[in-house]
Amino acid sequence: MFQLLLIALRNLASHKRRTLLLGGAIAGVTGLLVILMGLSNGIQTTTVETATTLMTGHVNVAGFFKVTAGQSAPVVTAIPALQQQLLQEVPELDYMVQRGRGYSKVVSDTSSMDLVLGGVDIQNETGFRKALMLREGRMEDLEQPNTLLLFEEQAKKLEVKVGDTVTLSSPTMRGTSNTVDVRVAAIAANVGMLSSVYCYLPNSTLRALYQMRDDATGALHLYLKDTADVPAVQARLMKRLPELGHKVLDHNPNPFFMKFETVNREAWTGQRLDITNWEDEISFITWSVKALNGLTVGLLVLLLIIISVGVMNTLWIAIRERTREIGTLRAIGMQRGWVVLMFLFEAFMLALFGTLSGALLGLAVCLGLNAAHITMPMAVQLIIMSEQLRFAVSPVAVAGSIFIITFCTTLVSLIPSFLAARMKPVTAMHHIG
Amino acid sequence: MTQLTAVSGANRPIVSLTDVIKTYTLGKVEVPALRGLSLDVYPGEFISIAGPSGSGKTTALNLIGCVDTASSGVVSVDGQDTKTLSERQLTDLRLHTIGFIFQSFNLVSVLSVYQNVEFPLLLQRKLNPKEREQRVMTLLEQVGLDKHVKHRPNELSGGQRQRVAVARALVTRPKLVLADEPTANLDSVTGQNIIDLMKELNRKEGTTFIFSTHDAKVMNHANAVVRLADGKILDRITPAEAQKAMAAGAEGH
Repeated sequence: MFQLLLIALRNLASHKRRTLLLGGAIAGVTGLLVILMGLSNGIQTTTVETATTLMTGHVNVAGFFKVTAGQSAPVVTAIPALQQQLLQEVPELDYMVQRGRGYSKVVSDTSSMDLVLGGVDIQNETGFRKALMLREGRMEDLEQPNTLLLFEEQAKKLEVKVGDTVTLSSPTMRGTSNTVDVRVAAIAANVGMLSSVYCYLPNSTLRALYQMRDDATGALHLYLKDTADVPAVQARLMKRLPELGHKVLDHNPNPFFMKFETVNREAWTGQRLDITNWEDEISFITWSVKALNGLTVGLLVLLLIIISVGVMNTLWIAIRERTREIGTLRAIGMQRGWVVLMFLFEAFMLALFGTLSGALLGLAVCLGLNAAHITMPMAVQLIIMSEQLRFAVSPVAVAGSIFIITFCTTLVSLIPSFLAARMKPVTAMHHIG
Repeated sequence: MTQLTAVSGANRPIVSLTDVIKTYTLGKVEVPALRGLSLDVYPGEFISIAGPSGSGKTTALNLIGCVDTASSGVVSVDGQDTKTLSERQLTDLRLHTIGFIFQSFNLVSVLSVYQNVEFPLLLQRKLNPKEREQRVMTLLEQVGLDKHVKHRPNELSGGQRQRVAVARALVTRPKLVLADEPTANLDSVTGQNIIDLMKELNRKEGTTFIFSTHDAKVMNHANAVVRLADGKILDRITPAEAQKAMAAGAEGH
């Protein structure tokens, strides 16, 4: 076995140019794959980190309250009792926060825009400070009533700065319109598409705007110790909360603000709970991750085909050049299986050499780009959910790409290897070329 | 002329060809290479197969070496009819019973002298590393290459390469060694050395040698010369008779 490895290794070494070209191609494909996966994973990680801090818990118990059939508000009432039930039903729970939900026209002196409102008790939201980078103002100021946190893009559009006042105008639960004047307390750096949709204000201000009682909020965000438990917790709550006397809406994997039309069409009135997970709430922005993942897979398949053809061609050439050697080895007693193994080793080592160097190269590029803190244009920010490019290279993904490319390359080399092994020794030995 | 038969005391021939026909198909044309060849070779013989180009020497050696199959007739090696053996069994027969020495040496270019000689032993998987080393080094000493163990074939002269090939052919201690024009690519002195080496091993180890050659001087070392012409055996004679016949042939021309 060692001798076969040695033959394979030395044959690769003796054809330096060919080995470097093909190994380089394999390395290039692997490197590209590592970079793409790093980017995709980076976007996903950023999205999840940002979104699970700013707009959703791992699991959310939210709901709609309807005074009349056609008029709904994103409100859950009788929160203390519900919180108690959730504490009992979800032992996987790490912590839980109340998050007000609303939808409002934000009007400045010169402009206006429609925004989703997030009600926060900033003193309880430790993750908030980590997820948002403030450009102006102080996060602590959101503890005061009638304050507002905007994103840079929104502030620019509304032409406001910290200290300016804007008016929020929303329909209340009773169907009338209400307005509240709020002061811009902080302006945060953009975080992708989220920056054009969400803004934040204290829960008390949101309640005032919607004329809600103190025991009502928009949603309870449940943060679990392990995100792998999300499906189980969600399924359990879908089953248990109706048993505990709550009316629960059928699962609809969309963010709450996309459900108003559906909810308003339904004939019921009163309170209905809506149980969602973080993926449901950010489904409107995860298309970029899915598209990038699709692109990565598509590119991988295409590149694998190109590499496979390259490897097969190279092995054909190698086998053609070494036909006499194959004949000699067969003549002196090498079984066909060993001939196959010899060429498989060659392809395997070439692929391993290529994929390992490619992975290292890809890793170096990712680390380099991370260190460079490259700020992307706004159009790209929308897709990558961050101001800067962030590459999160997962060791499992790198190992996976090394394995897949090495495996596929070795697999395609089976064809020429089998054909080489099937040659009659005498034919092989007298081969000219 | 004396028709030589068995020179050995052994009863059973190690190689037996009976009415062997081999025809090659080149496109639509069928080219006969052997036309009913019958030959018995006994253990310990040192036989030369002689004949002009195209007489069937290489084809006969290929059939005996189980690297090719006959169109018809029986090729028996070490008591086994090769036609009844599977590809795997034929490979095993080559590995354990036959050693090959090729005209162009056919060494594995990326392996060292030592590794080339050791290779058949690795395929056999019979000996442990220490025994393998001992066997390889003994042979390399015998062929005078024990100082060149780490050299690659391209760092050796033609004669040295052929001696590596001889060592590789003998390292498994085969019953039969086939050599196709083993001296053709060597100068006369080196060729003579190679034949002397083969002869010595034949005498010491009792290994059967069948080699093809054009060279009258090389033929001189054989116990018997089997002369082929047009795919048939012309006769089986002594080296002296072969010399005479060649001289007469040359005069005739």
